[in-house]
Amino acid sequence: MRVSISYLAIAALAVSVFTGCGNSETAKAPAISGSESSAQAVSSNEPVSESVFAMDIYMTITAYDGEIIRAVSESIDKIKQLEALWNVNDEGSDIYKINNSSEPVSVDEQTAELMSFSLGMCESTNGALDITLYPVLREWGFTTGEYKVPDEDIISELMKNTGYEKVVLDGNTVTTPAGVMTDLGSVGKGRTGDCVAEIMRGCGVTSALLDLGGNIQVVGRKTDGSKWKIGLKDPYVRGNFGILEAEDTAVITSGGYERYFEQDGEVYWHILDPAAGSPAKNGIISATAVGSEGRLCDALSTSLFVMGEERAKKYWRSRGDFEMILVTDDDRVLITEGLEDSYTSGGLFSETEVIRRDS
Amino acid sequence: MTAESKAKKQRAALIAAAVLFIVSAVWCGYLLFRQSGRQVEIISDGRVLYTLDLDREADREITVEYEGRKNVIAIEDHDIFMKEAECPDHTCIKTGRLGSAGVPIVCLPNKLMIRFKAGTDSAENGGVDAAA
Repeated sequence: MRVSISYLAIAALAVSVFTGCGNSETAKAPAISGSESSAQAVSSNEPVSESVFAMDIYMTITAYDGEIIRAVSESIDKIKQLEALWNVNDEGSDIYKINNSSEPVSVDEQTAELMSFSLGMCESTNGALDITLYPVLREWGFTTGEYKVPDEDIISELMKNTGYEKVVLDGNTVTTPAGVMTDLGSVGKGRTGDCVAEIMRGCGVTSALLDLGGNIQVVGRKTDGSKWKIGLKDPYVRGNFGILEAEDTAVITSGGYERYFEQDGEVYWHILDPAAGSPAKNGIISATAVGSEGRLCDALSTSLFVMGEERAKKYWRSRGDFEMILVTDDDRVLITEGLEDSYTSGGLFSETEVIRRDS
Repeated sequence: MTAESKAKKQRAALIAAAVLFIVSAVWCGYLLFRQSGRQVEIISDGRVLYTLDLDREADREITVEYEGRKNVIAIEDHDIFMKEAECPDHTCIKTGRLGSAGVPIVCLPNKLMIRFKAGTDSAENGGVDAAA
């Protein structure tokens, strides 16, 4: 009798192993887009990943543990909600309303909050960031893809209506003079990343990767306990010039290579110097901001690119809430001292300089 | 039944159970690890159109249409890249073959993306989980 019991026990164990694996077999169906396949994913510890086209880019949200189905679906809803609020071309958006009225416009709390943050960053960076450049950017064709070098007269005319100090925010009410247009494109993706990371944590997700069109935000660590490895894109498009290990961090890069055109041998890229109304050429070809807040890193990557090396170093020393990686047009990579242990050079640039706080 | 034959039967049963257990364990290992090939997804406007295992794919071309504009995706020597694209900037074609840097191939105007499937081992992904 004892024989058959032990036999049965072992057989049952074998069968249970079989069934356990059976789940992973079904999970081989793509665990993407749609709750049906996601449901299978949960039973077998496969990550849930969804891609959505929003804010002019592809956003891919991948969650590895916790209530991943709820986390990802709430994240997608949030992204769509924020895009509807901030899309400059959408007639129903807060930004469209602000841009098409010289009267005070009452906006959503989330818009007011981001507007307040953005105006603060414009001021803090001494105008290296300016959320009123939209008409100039449009004239260069960077918003439409119909690139052209505009007439200097047109640019100087448009520049009369730029300047973040023309935007008045009072509670949830925004007022801009006629002709002034705002755009939260330089901070919106970073803020979206923050909101999604918050949703993830609220759903018990301790491991998630958010790729918002090259803006990377990671939640926690990878499921194997190691840190995420984030490649830093080479401005000359030869792969990654370095790798950064990250945990609960936003890594956001602004590079001239992202959107540009050439005319008469000259390269014109989409990052404009608000002081000049033309592409920012101050010696930096790629600027990466690293920190816990996506909206801050998003705002900073653009600002640091515009500032140039010396101003960027000075600005970094004046604050304590972010780190940065700069690539200069004479092929040097500069990293701030807080990244010394997490940065590995990929060998594309021979020189890596460390920027110290006290030098 | 003699005590001897009873013991024999007992041993045979144990061996049979052990063999069954080992076979199932190996089969599980196979199921778990065989999907660690280079799984690639082709996504159009947020929908996964294809999930491909690059290690098993023969050379071929896939045409995807979005609002009447075509993209031709090519698989060659177990690599995938954008061969033709009806879009103004051809950024997707310039990206080259998928794989070296953990960067997806994206054709923004046509809302098309080719990327490694989530969970694909980062070693298969050029050593990085993503790129900024």
